[in-house]
Amino acid sequence: MADAVIVVVLLLVGATATTAVAVRDPERQALVLSVLGVVLAVLFTVLQAPDVGLSQLAVGSALTPLLLLLTVRKVRRRAQDKGRQE
Amino acid sequence: MNGWILAATVALGTGLGTALWGVATGPLRRRVVAQNMSTALACPALLLLSQGYARPSYVDLALVLALLGPVGTLVFARLLADDLADDPPRAWGVTWVVAGFGAVVVGAVCAATGPSPEMVKLLVIGALLIGGNVLASRALSGGFPGAGRG
Repeated sequence: MADAVIVVVLLLVGATATTAVAVRDPERQALVLSVLGVVLAVLFTVLQAPDVGLSQLAVGSALTPLLLLLTVRKVRRRAQDKGRQE
Repeated sequence: MNGWILAATVALGTGLGTALWGVATGPLRRRVVAQNMSTALACPALLLLSQGYARPSYVDLALVLALLGPVGTLVFARLLADDLADDPPRAWGVTWVVAGFGAVVVGAVCAATGPSPEMVKLLVIGALLIGGNVLASRALSGGFPGAGRG
C-alpha cells in the first residue's frame, strides 16, 4: 500500500514519455517535455532521491524547453532566409 | 502510508493526469495552460510528500519548483507569442482553482508544522507559487502587450 504513490508516479512518467514521443510538432513536444521534467522530479522525490530531483527540476522544467524552442526558431529562420535567396 | 502521502497520491494522479491529457490534445492555447497547471499542481504535491515523509528538507524541491515553474511558462509565453497572439488562452477559472488548492495545502502543512522558521519558509513558497502562477497566466493571456514581440 505504501508503494501506491510510486506506482502512480511511475505510470505518469510512462504516459508522459510516450506522449512526448507521439507528439510530432517540436513546439508542442517542448511543452510535453517540460511536463515530463516535472513528473520525473516528483518520481525522484518519491524514490527518496531529492538531490537528483532538484537538478532534474532545474534542467527539465525551464532549460530544456528554452533550448528546444530557441533551436526550432533558429532553424525556421534559416529555412526562411534560404527560401528567400532562391 | 499516512494521510499526507495519500492526499499527494490523489493530487498527483488526478491533477497531473488531467494536465497530461490537456498538454497532449487540443489547440496550442490549451496546451500551454495545461503545462502551467502541471507545475502549479506538482508544487503542493511536493509539499504534501515532504510532510508525509517527515523530512522538512524536501521542502526545498517545492521552493525550486515554485520559482522555476512560472519561469518555464514565461519562456513559452515569450517564444510562442506569435502563435498565441491570434487566439490567446483565457483560463482564469482553472488558474484560481489551482491557486486555491495551493493555498489550502500550504495552510494545512503550516498548521501541522506550527509557528517556527519552517513555517515562514512555507508561507514564502505559497506566496511564490500563487503569485508566479497568476503572473504566468496573465502573460499567457497577453496581459503584457508589447513584451511578447521578438
